[in-house]
Amino acid sequence: MKILLMGHPNVGKSVFFNRLTGAKVFESNYPGTTVDFTKGWMRFGGEDVELIDVPGAFSLEPKDRAEEVAVKMLEENRDSVVICVLDASKVERGLYLALEIIERGYPVVVALNMWDVAEDKNIRIDVEKLERILGVPVVPTIAISGEGFKELVSKIKEAAPVKIEKIIENAGGVESAAVSG
Amino acid sequence: MPLSVDERWNLIEKISKQTVEFGARKHTLKDAIAELTVKPLTGIPVAIAVLYGIWSFFVDFAGTLFTDGFMVRLFDEHWLPFLQNAFHNNLDNWAYRLFIDAGHIENGVLVASDNCLEAFGVLTSGFFVPFGVVLWAVLAFYLMFALLEDVGYLPRLAVLVDTVLHKIGLHGYAIVPTFLSLGCNVPGVTATRALETRKQRFLMITLLSVFVPCGAQIGIMQDLVPELMGWIFLTLAIGYLGFGFILNKIVPGKSPEIIMDVPPYRMPMMKNIVSKLWVRTSRFLLVAVPFVLLGCLIVGLMYLTGAMDWLATVLGPFLMSWFGVPEETVSPLIAGFLRKDLAVGMLGGLMEQGIMTTFQVFTSVVLLCIYFPCLATFALMLKEENWKEFLGSIASLVAMVLVYGGLIHLVGIMLEVA
Repeated sequence: MKILLMGHPNVGKSVFFNRLTGAKVFESNYPGTTVDFTKGWMRFGGEDVELIDVPGAFSLEPKDRAEEVAVKMLEENRDSVVICVLDASKVERGLYLALEIIERGYPVVVALNMWDVAEDKNIRIDVEKLERILGVPVVPTIAISGEGFKELVSKIKEAAPVKIEKIIENAGGVESAAVSG
Repeated sequence: MPLSVDERWNLIEKISKQTVEFGARKHTLKDAIAELTVKPLTGIPVAIAVLYGIWSFFVDFAGTLFTDGFMVRLFDEHWLPFLQNAFHNNLDNWAYRLFIDAGHIENGVLVASDNCLEAFGVLTSGFFVPFGVVLWAVLAFYLMFALLEDVGYLPRLAVLVDTVLHKIGLHGYAIVPTFLSLGCNVPGVTATRALETRKQRFLMITLLSVFVPCGAQIGIMQDLVPELMGWIFLTLAIGYLGFGFILNKIVPGKSPEIIMDVPPYRMPMMKNIVSKLWVRTSRFLLVAVPFVLLGCLIVGLMYLTGAMDWLATVLGPFLMSWFGVPEETVSPLIAGFLRKDLAVGMLGGLMEQGIMTTFQVFTSVVLLCIYFPCLATFALMLKEENWKEFLGSIASLVAMVLVYGGLIHLVGIMLEVA
């Protein structure tokens, strides 16, 4: 098993990577710090598991080199669990990538990172409900201070592939594209 | 069954309606600062202040405090005389000239050097350049850069300069690789991967490798010709923008908009800053020091075997007529293939001997910046670009050096300073 860290640029994937592996990957407050992938090892369930810090991507339809690398990493590691890191203050944008990864059949854990920023902006997220609809573990985290990491790691084993139809059903159905509005 | 883009967004809307609640937004101090730094009216003065602050720190901390205050004294008043005495000023011995003091001709006589730039031995200049000058410059620059990175100022600077950079086919984001390159061109070139089209990457890589001097080079230029720094940066900036504009017109391909995220301001974390400084500085030392020593050795050998004199006679007339610089600049130009900081340091030796006018010094320094990216950057360009783009980069490089170098000479002639 491998674990892939995926998410938009500048949501804190490198900070996650450093926290989980104890490695020294640069963390910078601008998008695009990681343009190549980085591998490391983390202890999980008594064994060493490979963790890959994937370059930031907005979607799985690549627009730049970093995104091409991201899609390639995903395709080359079919047996991985994906930790999808979302910016909690911009959940909708992050969910797009998360759904794409779920649709491709990967087991996913969603980390709602920058929970503190979302709170500052007065955005409240019903984590339990989101978990029920998506059918995957959802954990609020603050990467730079380390909050939520223990829970995140403990939930990795709960991650399992979910059918997108199931999510649509849980969300109460979805209109077809033609009648969107 | 995979969803279509619209279906996916519809689903997300459904989900977020049930789970996300947006409260009233408070306007915080952070927001106020964030706005002040991106609106042109206040943002431009802030940007100037920030850049000026960085520059002052760079000059005072690295230049005045460490290099002039400690290192120059240590190397010129203790290290060099110590070695010269220990080996009896043996200018006839080839090993002495190679490792300690190459000496120089004064009134037809070979005399000993009195500082570590002139001496040009592996053990003297070879250590003075990286440890006496460049290390402090790089350290100061990386510290400033790490702070700017972690606070989140760079993307705002990108928004500010976006309009200008669009004129040369680049996006405001280009400020990030450019800034990185001011530390070292290698991470700068790597950072161009975040640009969208091959055209943008090609433009960026070519401009970076030609017109953006690295921290090592800036450090030693500041040490040698502090009074010319303004002119040098201005010349390089004009080259960067001017040739960017031309390349954008002639290179096929598109330069589309990139929508960039401006992250919130954050308090930088001490631990992260320290680890970045450590990793970057140690990487610099590992790469630079062997190359500087090797450069000293090669140049020294070329002098001893007469190869340098031969090259100077062959290339001298061209250098003099086209760029207006004396044939002695051949040796720094050779050393510059390995390390730019070493090459600029060699110019310092030539200046001490008084064989160049101020304008020739200025031209040589600019030429050294633009004529070739350092070996490390060159190798990276090979890796990052396909062969067609690589040949394109090299061709543009040659063209730019010839045109721009000639142009500088021409301006010099018209101003009657060349």
